[in-house]
Amino acid sequence: MGKIQLIIAREYLTRVKKLSFVIMTLLGPILMAALFIVPVYMTNKSQKQVKLVVVDENHYFINSFHDSKNAQFTYRSGNVDQIKREALGSGEYDAVLHILESYSGIRSNLYYYKEPPMNLRSNIENQLDKLLFDKVLQDTFQINPKKFEQIKSGTKSHVSMIQTDEHGNTKKHFAGLNRLIGIVLGFAIYIFIFMYSSQVLRSVLEEKTNRIVEVLLSSIKPIQLMFGKIVGVALVGLTQFLLWVIFTAFIIGVAMFAKPDLFTSQIPQSDIPAAMVTPGMDNDLEIFALMQEGQGFGEILETFYGISFSEIILLFLFYFIFGYLLYAALFASIGSAVDNEADSNQFTMPVTIPLILTLVMIMPIADDPNSSLAWWFSMIPFTSPVGMLVRLPSGVPLPELILSMGLMIATFVLCLWFAAKVYKTGILMYGKKITYKDLWKWLKY
Amino acid sequence: MEIIDIQNVSKYFSNHTALDDVSFSIREGVIFGLLGPNGAGKTTLIRILNQITFPDKGTVLFKGLPLNPSDISKIGYLPEERGLYKKMNVGEQAVYLARLKGVPKNLAIKRLQDRFEKFGIMGWWNRKVEELSKGMQQKVQFITTIIHEPEFLIFDEPFSGFDPINANLLKDEILELKKSGTTVILSTHNMASVEEICDDIVLINNSRKILEGSLSEVKKNFRENIFEIIIYNDKYLANLPPDFEVISDNTIDDKRIFTIKLSHIEQANNLLTYFMENATLNSFKEILPSMNDIFIQQVNRYNAQKNG
Repeated sequence: MGKIQLIIAREYLTRVKKLSFVIMTLLGPILMAALFIVPVYMTNKSQKQVKLVVVDENHYFINSFHDSKNAQFTYRSGNVDQIKREALGSGEYDAVLHILESYSGIRSNLYYYKEPPMNLRSNIENQLDKLLFDKVLQDTFQINPKKFEQIKSGTKSHVSMIQTDEHGNTKKHFAGLNRLIGIVLGFAIYIFIFMYSSQVLRSVLEEKTNRIVEVLLSSIKPIQLMFGKIVGVALVGLTQFLLWVIFTAFIIGVAMFAKPDLFTSQIPQSDIPAAMVTPGMDNDLEIFALMQEGQGFGEILETFYGISFSEIILLFLFYFIFGYLLYAALFASIGSAVDNEADSNQFTMPVTIPLILTLVMIMPIADDPNSSLAWWFSMIPFTSPVGMLVRLPSGVPLPELILSMGLMIATFVLCLWFAAKVYKTGILMYGKKITYKDLWKWLKY
Repeated sequence: MEIIDIQNVSKYFSNHTALDDVSFSIREGVIFGLLGPNGAGKTTLIRILNQITFPDKGTVLFKGLPLNPSDISKIGYLPEERGLYKKMNVGEQAVYLARLKGVPKNLAIKRLQDRFEKFGIMGWWNRKVEELSKGMQQKVQFITTIIHEPEFLIFDEPFSGFDPINANLLKDEILELKKSGTTVILSTHNMASVEEICDDIVLINNSRKILEGSLSEVKKNFRENIFEIIIYNDKYLANLPPDFEVISDNTIDDKRIFTIKLSHIEQANNLLTYFMENATLNSFKEILPSMNDIFIQQVNRYNAQKNG
């Protein structure tokens, strides 16, 4: 085995054998799968049915509320205070809805001991609005509410978003979902790059403060040591990524097999979390509608995405590898130049700022993937891994992709040259506080 | 035959000269003392021998040929500032370091197990380095330094961190290595150990070589014609002749001990004759300067010259 391979093997094995790696690798997919499953599951299943007592002073709404899986309505009349005491005091009911006597508009109070779920209020308001609307329709305009619904649904319009090109190829756009996937990818690659490249910094620093580096350098060249370390840590990252993809797919698969209705059950509009209500909302609903028709989650994504899953994974790997290499090379040179972690901060700051900047920019880029902001962030090599990944699901023209990837590779080569120069000198330098001026001098050696 | 030949080596850093035209050679099979005050350039020289850094001028020959990367497996290095991976198992780490020096895996394991048995530390094989005491770590480090059976070993302050018992064990190991034909460079500030085990020395001060030679030669060159004479205190001794400068004169129990400085070494016989005639002699020997004295004297002289 060559010496570089020996270093790579050591860096890789010591990390992979660590308990924290095993735990993170097993827990990661569970957390990620939970991120997908839990919100859907929560909105669908786990909400407790709220038992309500309705006291209507107008005697109009008696027996007209619809029970749902979230709320069950019972009707009483009499003294409100007494009903409140009995119903809530016994614990048999969760809330009392008191509809006040009135002649224009409806005012009501909801009494409870323990706060009911957030959406109960909107549920009640929606039902009251509808009932009142129907009453006005019937009483004032003499229109049958059922007939009104027919007219309404017969005159509904819908705009489908379809991207096309000069060859007449088209693809449907689901902007909301594109945005969501883009955000997830952006965050994921940010975490990956940051987590693993900063491991290189810590590892170089450990060897330097341990003074084992002097022993190592009597056997190998500094550049071999640095290169072996960077590659070893990268392989750990790739292993983790691969295992996560496999485990996550497996867990989602098991969840879908065990509960096929998990993703396909009806999701009422009012139950969709507010965060997802964005431009492109209708398209999201379209997807939910497709889910209702019983199509698999992955199939929907595969069919309706201009970029396939395999392409996303490949590009994720490319940008992870090169983004990581870029930052790892810089972090390695920083680790070699300083004596302890506290000193490293003055140098890591300018390196991490672009990365953190992209993190902040994930949302704006996701909102408008074709803006010039998004374009620049997906081109500049220090920000392009995150920037490009956020844009990717919305479709990126091939020339732009090639330009971005080319810039990435070129910058990496430059950074590796810089890192090697600094590392070679810095790693043997002890007890001296390094300044930017020193770094400049080392570059010229 | 020379194993190492350093020819006119200079090394410059951005704001100072670490080595200035240094030349000397190391005979095969000796223990060679590399001496010098802190910051003299010893570490730089050692790093050049290990090919960690390279000279700006001059060449280093290893067995007659310019030093090259394939020599790495023939050289062992125990740095002054040394350490191991704290979280790694002792055995695994030793195997790793041996393999980096080019020893095949199975051979490395076998040799290490033999060594560990010999040192009585086989029980540490699966322990983490951080669980070991400083002295234990030093032992492991020593083993990893010699495990590829190098022809040429460089020990930088090997005794620091060892208790007297283990320091002695280490000294015996080094002498053992010498016996088996290994050449050893010993860089240390501990002059007592230099006197005990070194054959040849070189003294570097302020990036220049100021002294070299075999230990006995160097000491002879700096002799001050001082003799120690012990006589039995049974007779009254009149005043000594004025040619003999008495440095000290002590009586302990029944003996009287003189240290006497002569103006010429030829007077030694006169001195002995005088005492033989006038007293009952117990012992007579020349006191050579200690390496410690020579070190201090030479370094101070050169620094005074430089400043004067």
